[in-house]
Amino acid sequence: MERRRFIKLLSSLLGLSALGAFLYPLLRFLTPSEASIAAKKVTVAKGDIPAGTTKDLMIGLTPAIILNGRDKGFLAFSKVCTHLGCLVKFHPERQVFICPCHNGIFDLEGNVVSGPPPKPLQKFSVKVEGDKLVIG
Amino acid sequence: MQRMREWLEIRIGLDELIRSQLTEYRVPKNINLFYTLGIVAFVAYLVQSLTGILLLFYYIPDDKDAFQSVQLIMNHVPYGWLFRLIHVVGSNLMVAVVLLHVVSVFFLGSYKKPRELTWVVGALMLLTTLGFCLSGYLLPWSQLSFWATTVVTNIPTAFPVCGELVCRILRGSETVSGVTINRFFALHVAFLPPVLMSLFALHVFLVRRIGISAPPDGSEEEGEWQQFRHEDHPNGPPFYPYFVSKEAFMIVLYFIIMFSIISFAPALFLPPDTSVPADPFSTPEHIRPEWYFLAPYQMLKLIPNRFLGIALQLVLVAVFIFWPLIDKSEKANILKRPRLLALFLGTIVVWIGLTLWGSR
Repeated sequence: MERRRFIKLLSSLLGLSALGAFLYPLLRFLTPSEASIAAKKVTVAKGDIPAGTTKDLMIGLTPAIILNGRDKGFLAFSKVCTHLGCLVKFHPERQVFICPCHNGIFDLEGNVVSGPPPKPLQKFSVKVEGDKLVIG
Repeated sequence: MQRMREWLEIRIGLDELIRSQLTEYRVPKNINLFYTLGIVAFVAYLVQSLTGILLLFYYIPDDKDAFQSVQLIMNHVPYGWLFRLIHVVGSNLMVAVVLLHVVSVFFLGSYKKPRELTWVVGALMLLTTLGFCLSGYLLPWSQLSFWATTVVTNIPTAFPVCGELVCRILRGSETVSGVTINRFFALHVAFLPPVLMSLFALHVFLVRRIGISAPPDGSEEEGEWQQFRHEDHPNGPPFYPYFVSKEAFMIVLYFIIMFSIISFAPALFLPPDTSVPADPFSTPEHIRPEWYFLAPYQMLKLIPNRFLGIALQLVLVAVFIFWPLIDKSEKANILKRPRLLALFLGTIVVWIGLTLWGSR
């Protein structure tokens, strides 16, 4: 191999390694850490949510809603619509969640009833511990 | 690649640009490594801008959250420690490189006619750089940054009539507070960058317009600049690859020094007081400025009258900025000017002495 070609190849290789050594930390730096986006457990008093009502709260960084359904017990969902990320609202008269942006409608299980959302609302587990609810 | 080259050739005359600015642009025959310090300083500025932008993604400029956000960057954000350390070490190296550049330009007499303006703009760039350091120092909201800023913003009060007003304008309140951090943050990320970029553009314009000065070799003619001309070096080696390879070497050396400090002495520029959140009710015992401010700091301590001390420093700064207009001799070779050489060496010795004294 010619000396000039060898030096070119070597410098390209070193340059690429240096670029990679910079880009990898950069990518990691810009990507939110799993810990920061992971939902954390939240405790709520049962008495705060009478039957047929809802309560908004944050689970980690996710806006969520707990529903005390008359015949379904306690249910917790992410309020983030799976279409474009607007927040859904509970409509007690129709017993559905409706997204105000593009009229996506979800039932009490979080499943899509109509509209553009491609998948159900994210569901959080709810555990009853005495007079407390542990969500997430 | 070839097609992209042709595309650019039609639009911007790429070949002619490369020829006139790189391969056929000649540099002085005896050009040396000191001439590369300008580009190294530019790279240092770039590194600071890039890491500064990255830190902005997580930093919160508020007295309640600033310290915590810096701790988050250092301890929780993946590789946050790396980008912050590059920024911290880089700021010190940037000052060192710019100071070396100034010293070498002085020693090589490159500020002489017709390059007086280039020197003045460069001197203003050094002051802007120090402005970056001062304004950035407060942002982590640590004990050291809080109290160092308290001391620095108190300095103008030595001046009668307007001193108190200047101090209040800098702080935005009676004492260093959340308002001050907002002001310093605005200075650091919004005001100083365009100032520095404008000065940089003017500096590079002047360097290219006038041409690179040749290191004095004892053969310079006196009084030859009677009208404007571009200084050519027809017998010199080409800018590319000859001088570019020297520049590349120095840039790599710069990064080697930076990463050696980050790897083997990460706390070199982060003394213990930088890990303690600012407490406006407790002044730490040994508040000292960064190494590049130690000499003026020690000088202030030595001169009993604060007003005189600061006034003297302002005069020295003015002399530094306008030195080419004061030193009118057309002899560029400092070795042939014993008095100037003595002044130059004396200044460096006094500076180092005051710095060492101030650090004790």
